[in-house]
Amino acid sequence: MRSKLLMSAAGLLVAIVPVMGHHAFGGEFDPNKPVLLKGKVTKLEWVNPHAWIHVEIPKENGEKACEFTPNAKCDEWMVEGGTPNTLLRRGITRDSLKAGTELVIDGYQARDHSLNRANGRNVTYPDGRKLFLGSSGTGAPTDGADPTEAAKGRGRGGR
Amino acid sequence: MRAIVAVAIALVSVLAAPLSAQAPRPTLRTPDGHPDLQGTYDIASMTPLERAPGTPLVMTKEEAARFEKERADRVKRLALPSNGDRSAPPAGGDGSTGAAGNVGGYNNFWIDNGTEYYTIDGQKRMSVIVDPPDGRIPPLTREAQQRAASRVARPTSDAQENDLGLEGPTAYDDMERRPLGERCLLGFGSTSGPPSLPVLYNNLHQIVQTNDTVLILNEMVHDARVVRIDAQHLPTTIRKWMGDSVGHWEGDALVVDTTNFTDKTRFRGASEHLHVVERFSRIDAKALRYRFTVEDPSTWEKPWSGEEVWPATKDLLFEYACHEGNYALGNILRGARLREKTRQ
Repeated sequence: MRSKLLMSAAGLLVAIVPVMGHHAFGGEFDPNKPVLLKGKVTKLEWVNPHAWIHVEIPKENGEKACEFTPNAKCDEWMVEGGTPNTLLRRGITRDSLKAGTELVIDGYQARDHSLNRANGRNVTYPDGRKLFLGSSGTGAPTDGADPTEAAKGRGRGGR
Repeated sequence: MRAIVAVAIALVSVLAAPLSAQAPRPTLRTPDGHPDLQGTYDIASMTPLERAPGTPLVMTKEEAARFEKERADRVKRLALPSNGDRSAPPAGGDGSTGAAGNVGGYNNFWIDNGTEYYTIDGQKRMSVIVDPPDGRIPPLTREAQQRAASRVARPTSDAQENDLGLEGPTAYDDMERRPLGERCLLGFGSTSGPPSLPVLYNNLHQIVQTNDTVLILNEMVHDARVVRIDAQHLPTTIRKWMGDSVGHWEGDALVVDTTNFTDKTRFRGASEHLHVVERFSRIDAKALRYRFTVEDPSTWEKPWSGEEVWPATKDLLFEYACHEGNYALGNILRGARLREKTRQ
């Protein structure tokens, strides 16, 4: 009985604890402008408070020549992630995500629609694997899901 | 032969002596004789500041283990692959709450908010707050309620970023009305302290100690607190974002007293009269005990206190040049200008 009470209390606890972060995503991105971006990485801004992944999206009247798709035009988008420090401690650096890597990103566009910016609500490789997790060929040494694996990362000395 | 055995036995007993003397281990000390609090600490924890009404401070180890496993399972679940052929999320928002703001925030792999509850004196704790005994922040005074109601914005040190971009007509009027975390002035969630609280990620704190100064360096926003030992507080005309901290030793505990806050820090709705007393002491070579008491008679009906464990980590504290990539603030303000046009 006590256990049940505690369970429901813990459920309640989860409900009342506000998730706090650097900023409110709702103020930055427009819930009425969902986007699905399929393109290739051109640059990674591995900076605080949030990392930004630049991707080029092939488009007929794109703003510039694509870097990774020959004879095609692309729009460049910026996709907001979280703090890089957490990933650095798992051994993931800005070199872990190579330019030219193909990604699938879903999120919402910035409230200012003149900006090609979106939040990286879910950033994956084309086969659905989460970015930086269990990846091959990107140099990411750990999948992050297992805390004991973190000790093997380059930036982490273990606890 | 017998002599060799005797020498060997003597040698073994000499070698064994320091081992047995290690329990209990003497407190690590600096050359001036005070406990050595230096190190890097990762205070990420599942223990929230407050706990749900009617729940106990301490849960059994079995209960804690179950919740900790649930957390670990959730992290694993969120790391599983999605469908690569998925479509865009729903128009009108994905229903996410909190900082994710109905647009889904970002993937879980960016988060590092602890895998366990704080264990203090062998107890698994359900809240940081130990006093009042119900584990809740005391009610706001009438004065504090009026103060909060009269404010058009809340640029606080622990702002709860849970609005959906609709915080109120004037909250986005200029950048100085935005929360301190959003402006890269202080880390969010009172990670900078005082009091130092566990937050969503980057929970690393480094302590560097000399005989007259203790530095508490916080990873997030690179906030540094410089504690002057056996010193007087600054004149009350000098106000600081994280207040003015002076310290003294009480036995083996470092007591840090902080006053002189600005009226913009507003920790949990506090005024510039906020007064925080922290106690740092060593549990063993691997962890510190951190206790704090917060008081401000113009804000809360009574003082309140919390307790944390600061486990040492071999992880490195990384640079945090917060203004470097803070596109978010500009995006938020631009978004607000566009919403104004739509409303007109």
